[in-house]
Amino acid sequence: MAPVDATAVLNDVGERAAVSPSADIASTGASQSTPPPRALGVTFWLAAGWIAVLLFVAVFADLLPVRDPDALGIRTREVEKFERPGWNAPFGGDGVGHDQFARVIAGTRPALIIGISVTLIGGLIGMAVGLASGYLRGKLDAVSALLIDMALAFPGLVLVIAVRAAFGNSIYVFVALFSVASVPAYARIVRGATLSLSERAFVDVAQAMGASKLRILWRELAPNIAVPALAFAFIGFALVIVAEGGLAFVGLSLDQITWGQLIADGTGEINEHPHVSLIPATVMFLTILSFNLVGDGIRSHFAPREVATRRRFRTEGPPSPSSGGSTLRVDQLRTTLHTQSGDVRVVDDVSFELDAGDCLAIVGESGSGKTMMLRSIVGAFALADVTRSGTVEVEGTDMLRIAPDELRSVLGSHIGMVPQNPLTALNPVRRIETQIIEPMRAHRSISKSQARAEALELMQHVGIPDPERRLRDYPHQLSGGMRQRITIAIALANQPKLLLADEPTTALDVTVQDQILRLLLGLQRDLEMAMILVTHDLAVVRGFADRVAIAYGGQLVESGTIERIFNDPKHRYTAALLSSVPDLELEPHSRLVTIEGQPPPLIDPSPGCRFAPRCPAATDLCHTTEPERTDDEDRWFRCHFPVTGDAEIETAGSRSTRPADAIRAETQGVN
Amino acid sequence: MLLVARRLVRLTIVLLAVTFFTFFLLDRSPGDPAAALAGENATEEVIEQKRAELGLDRPLVERYVDWLGGAVQLDFGDSIVTAGLSSWDLIRESLPKTLELMILAELMAIAISVPLAMASATRPGGLVDRMASSTAFGLLALPSFVLGIYLAFVFGVHLGWFPTIVNRLPGLNDDPLENLRQMFLPSLTLALNLVAVYHRLLRSDLIETLQEDFVVLAQVRGLSDRRIMWRHVLRPSSLNFTTAVGLNVAGLIGGALIIEVLFSINGMGRLVIESVVLEDFNVVAAVVALLTVGYVTMNFVVDLLYSVLDPRIRHGAR
Repeated sequence: MAPVDATAVLNDVGERAAVSPSADIASTGASQSTPPPRALGVTFWLAAGWIAVLLFVAVFADLLPVRDPDALGIRTREVEKFERPGWNAPFGGDGVGHDQFARVIAGTRPALIIGISVTLIGGLIGMAVGLASGYLRGKLDAVSALLIDMALAFPGLVLVIAVRAAFGNSIYVFVALFSVASVPAYARIVRGATLSLSERAFVDVAQAMGASKLRILWRELAPNIAVPALAFAFIGFALVIVAEGGLAFVGLSLDQITWGQLIADGTGEINEHPHVSLIPATVMFLTILSFNLVGDGIRSHFAPREVATRRRFRTEGPPSPSSGGSTLRVDQLRTTLHTQSGDVRVVDDVSFELDAGDCLAIVGESGSGKTMMLRSIVGAFALADVTRSGTVEVEGTDMLRIAPDELRSVLGSHIGMVPQNPLTALNPVRRIETQIIEPMRAHRSISKSQARAEALELMQHVGIPDPERRLRDYPHQLSGGMRQRITIAIALANQPKLLLADEPTTALDVTVQDQILRLLLGLQRDLEMAMILVTHDLAVVRGFADRVAIAYGGQLVESGTIERIFNDPKHRYTAALLSSVPDLELEPHSRLVTIEGQPPPLIDPSPGCRFAPRCPAATDLCHTTEPERTDDEDRWFRCHFPVTGDAEIETAGSRSTRPADAIRAETQGVN
Repeated sequence: MLLVARRLVRLTIVLLAVTFFTFFLLDRSPGDPAAALAGENATEEVIEQKRAELGLDRPLVERYVDWLGGAVQLDFGDSIVTAGLSSWDLIRESLPKTLELMILAELMAIAISVPLAMASATRPGGLVDRMASSTAFGLLALPSFVLGIYLAFVFGVHLGWFPTIVNRLPGLNDDPLENLRQMFLPSLTLALNLVAVYHRLLRSDLIETLQEDFVVLAQVRGLSDRRIMWRHVLRPSSLNFTTAVGLNVAGLIGGALIIEVLFSINGMGRLVIESVVLEDFNVVAAVVALLTVGYVTMNFVVDLLYSVLDPRIRHGAR
């Protein structure tokens, strides 16, 4: 019956809401704070009001000044046959002069009685079954899964018909029948919620602390499951009303007046006297809608994480005057993500310039905003509400302010991007060939066979053995390293002038990391591309890049050539990073230095230096005033009290003001 | 291969369990087909004789096994009520209409919901999305019989474009236009309920896929939005959707049944209701068996479709 699909979907939507898809973008310092419950809108209260009216009518039906629903208008002459709705009978009369208004009111009571009792009985049993099978799992879970499978395959209507034939059509039979039928739906929802909850840390913790399983079940899980179950109870209530209507429609309803029967009785007259069926149908629709609205409102009130997927890109402020010439010019770039928890300043006043053949490494721990700096250059934000300001110029083209068509053309023909994780960067359902050829065909007029020839050449270039065969493969048939070579080949498909590599080796085996880096650097030199290499691994930088910039809290805090940064770090964060790289010359078992504390939140950053809370040399000045960038373009830093000469490099540890639990900076060098 | 074998075993179990349970329930119901057949004034002896004739005096399991043997050869026994026709004859007459209704409804639902979900997912929270999502929410609150009445009133009574009742339906081959004209409202009613379901499901899967790395990278490669939607996003997002389409067939049968009553189509739904009311149990058992086989087969087809849609499943990598 129709109820089955609706349950499946609502169910599905409910479970889905538990995982927020866009969390990964906002996680840059934002995900910790939970947004406030979403307000319940006008529609929610309207719906709740309608339900309240129904309840009132159901309880006091006998006291209301309406006619006897069974009084035959034909005989009493009070209501005429098929009377139109009006003052005399607000809902009109039916084929024998029944007052439809009185009949609709009479139908309220059975609807609510069945709905409430089925929701209570079926819901409680279903919750118990779901809790048990979700928490204890094992055989019990398998058995209930098989039973649900069978129940789904069983034509529900036949069951209903057979049972009704055996036990009659009293209200008790219906309640029992619908209760049994609704158990699987509740069980499934509660089971899903239990499964996802019991995998979370706090249940393990509770168990480790000696709480018994049953107590965990009751104290920890029950409140967390109450909300989805309550939300579904309203929706389930609506489904019961639908089910009764469906049965009435095939002539198998209760032995009293119900809405379903009124609708069914009126359908034959739809051509001549539509009001007879339209009015009860609308009453039923409004009721179902109200219950759904209330259920949905409850769910989104307590689980507001679901949304936050607005897609909007904006650019603010004027560009800085173009200097022309360089491959990439980034000037005072600021990127703000507007999330439900507030505005996240993921990139904050970043400037640098790259010429053909330059290689700049951007280094920082996770959450420092380094990946966002790359993404801000090309505008790769998936679903997010983003504002950028400042200037990004590629080959003299203002990337923030040109028309979408032109932007696509510049992106496709001048820029190549190598992703962090080759396992998720290739479309799993398309062949390698299609994926390499696609950007060529999109941005150049090139025949398919020519594109294919170029693809083969590229694949040889990036070191893929047997490229002919590999072209026909799907991504999952290749190893991680091979896939990363493919993504590099795709990035090179249109001979870009600028290559953006976002931690290209983080997701790979240690043995492959070096190969891929060498490949990238070799290609960069051969093809004279400008390249940005984002990494958290300082050791990588030393071998390859010309210049390095250190990212912290969405800013670049220091930049210069490799030698000068390594030999003479000025910013204390840089210094700390350098001393956390394992040094092979130290004696074995000497302690690695780590940076205490965690990267700063990017929502409402403190007015002073971003590093001040973790900095051993911070003063009041550092906490209140942001340090300006020093002047020398080739070697600058942002610090009030830079490291001087050979001074001992300290790290924050004793003076850290933050809880040191989760954090050991990821920057501990080679994994 | 092992997986296929295991699935087959499981499906067979479901099939046997469902048909046996139906058999059991029908046996327990208070009506007595032998008495009905013998007529109102029949003596006890005549009824007993009839019962023996029908084989109803034998134990339940024995009769079930017998029935199963016949069912495999599409022999479901004669209709007890309609003299001279076998259960299979009756089914063969009504099945095409129900099938047409269901297929038309699925096609309409897919044709409406896929583009709509894509429009919604391109700009979540935008005007199109908000309108489509609240319409879907409203549709979910409309039981098929209420929706059918609304549609019949608007398109049939008010505008007069389509008939509100299916009357002497010509075959799809004989007069396709008239056939489709009559089947339009019933199919649309059934379809719109599905649209609500499909739109919600596909929209959220599309939005999820849109956040995948490979989609963001496709955008960075300067591909057009339309191309990204159709070539990169749709297929990886369609697994849940395919499941819903496939498994909905079971739900669709229930829906179709009510629609058939509403628009007076002589399909399987009407057949099964009439058979139950008239206690024509051979027909009921046959219909149930057929529905279950249909459901189980759809399950299988969905599994096959999976591997077409996702090469990882084809290669057993997932």
